[in-house]
Amino acid sequence: MIAYTRRATPLHAARAGAGAAYACALALAVLLIDNPVLLGAIALGTVGAAVGAGVARPLLRLVPTILIVSIPIVVVQVLVSRQGLTVFARLGNLGPFGQGDLTVEALVYGVVIALKVAVLMLATALASMTVDPDELLRVYRRLAFRPALTASLATRMVPVLLDDARRLAEAQRTRPPAPGVARGSRMQRMRDAGRLVHASVAGALDRSLDVAAILELRGFEGARSAPRRSRPRSRHDLSFMTAALLLSGLAIADRIANLAPFATYPLVHLPARAWTVALAAALPALMLAPFLDRRGVAA
Amino acid sequence: MSGRRRLSIVAGALTLALTGCGLGAGPKPEGAALQVTENFGALPLAALAAPRVAGQETAMSLLERNERVTTHYGGGFVESINGRSGGIVHGHPVDWFYYVDGILASQGAADTVVHNGERIWWDLHDWSVTDGVPAVVGSFPEPFLHGVAGQRPPVAVRCVGATGACGTVLARLRAIGAQPTTLAREVPPPHDAVVVLVGTLAALRGQAAIDAVDQGPRTSGVYVTAPAAGTALELLDEDGAPVRRVTGDVGLVAATSGPGALPVWLVSGTDAAGVQAAASMLDERDLTDRYALVVAAGAHIAVPTATR
Repeated sequence: MIAYTRRATPLHAARAGAGAAYACALALAVLLIDNPVLLGAIALGTVGAAVGAGVARPLLRLVPTILIVSIPIVVVQVLVSRQGLTVFARLGNLGPFGQGDLTVEALVYGVVIALKVAVLMLATALASMTVDPDELLRVYRRLAFRPALTASLATRMVPVLLDDARRLAEAQRTRPPAPGVARGSRMQRMRDAGRLVHASVAGALDRSLDVAAILELRGFEGARSAPRRSRPRSRHDLSFMTAALLLSGLAIADRIANLAPFATYPLVHLPARAWTVALAAALPALMLAPFLDRRGVAA
Repeated sequence: MSGRRRLSIVAGALTLALTGCGLGAGPKPEGAALQVTENFGALPLAALAAPRVAGQETAMSLLERNERVTTHYGGGFVESINGRSGGIVHGHPVDWFYYVDGILASQGAADTVVHNGERIWWDLHDWSVTDGVPAVVGSFPEPFLHGVAGQRPPVAVRCVGATGACGTVLARLRAIGAQPTTLAREVPPPHDAVVVLVGTLAALRGQAAIDAVDQGPRTSGVYVTAPAAGTALELLDEDGAPVRRVTGDVGLVAATSGPGALPVWLVSGTDAAGVQAAASMLDERDLTDRYALVVAAGAHIAVPTATR
């Protein structure tokens, strides 16, 4: 499971706002940039940032999930798109779906979209593992107290409910199977899973009622936002904020000025430009620069 | 490998091949042509007798391979060609339409496979009067040679009077390689043939195509009307408004929808001399880029008459 654990790295040492801004800038860059070379550079930078933040191993565990999401995107795009001029396979007339020409351009477009989704998943996973959720919710509580409190409680409840489910599963294993059902059979596993889900949901509802009652008792109705706690900005806060700003700036500039041009239709157009090379070098460098300063990163 | 399995593999491969499936770009269409015009053919923008092809092409891919195109709706609808786009112009809706061998396409350009010898014509025009001009004469000698889906259609000529003009029409059609047959007056026009009606407007009254022309461009797609019992022609502009009335020996060459997928051509006129003049216009030089053509006092007038 993806979870935040405080580690001795610059990203963990930065305040939650700076870490979140860094992750948001990453996501913004992925959304704005279409050039696959730059997207590849951002993907490399994200993996590099995960190494710098000491979360590369859990991040790489996401690869099968990313593939499960990405491969259908490419396949559907190739099958559905009617654009592109380089046909590599013809499915003939598909009736209401028209002429089934599969094109290289649709394949490239699908790969670019899949790459964007993959890097977005990596960026959000990186944020989940490196940004302190409590601190982030504290910031959020000043803006919107009630939703922030609800979110805090919900995130707190997840591990509790997981523990509940684990205990229920252990208890279930000690019981004999139902008459006529072989132990370990598919039927028994399906029945056990159904009962476990039922019991877990019932437990979650019970706990939510308890929490609601406690909140009521503690005067949730009259609660107000917490006062702002001022804390001087650390060098890590500043470096991650600066990286986020520059990253966003470069992505926006590329979008507006088309610095690294790329087009998929009607033919794939990926010219070799100095700007493309420069951005491909600058983006990961910007992303990784804040990790160079490791002073004061104790966990 | 067992014989049955081998047979099923061969049958599967044959089925795929016959339904147009396969790897790679597929066979190139030979002799296809591409033309791009604006305002009912009044402004030619591109005319490629041998456009670039790279295997099996659709009307859309042929256009995109040879011109600068932007599209809408996932590549199924042309938004602009060489920077000229549809939209609202002077308060009128304007869009790109395309014709295959002079017949308005019945499906999206991305789904229309280009066959050998087909002429693909894209035209940007005002469709405030009608969004369906079903057939045009500007792709002559098509559709007489390649018809629909690359199949040479039968050609049936019905002459009502106008013996001289009828002979001219038959000779012109034979000259381009078509094999026209003449159709008796009482025989209904066949659904699977390109029909050519030859005769004066008055003599052809009662034929569905002439009645459609009488009802105006909304019905026929032909921007003329024949008032005064067919002794004059009223030429209409893009808005369907009459801009000029021509009388005397006036000829008309136009096309409209037929009983089937193929069009009906009209070689007609206000009198015998007009019909003869119209028959003489049955050649590529006179008809190229025309939606319909009127000849009056020796002058060729394309309709609809451009006013913008």
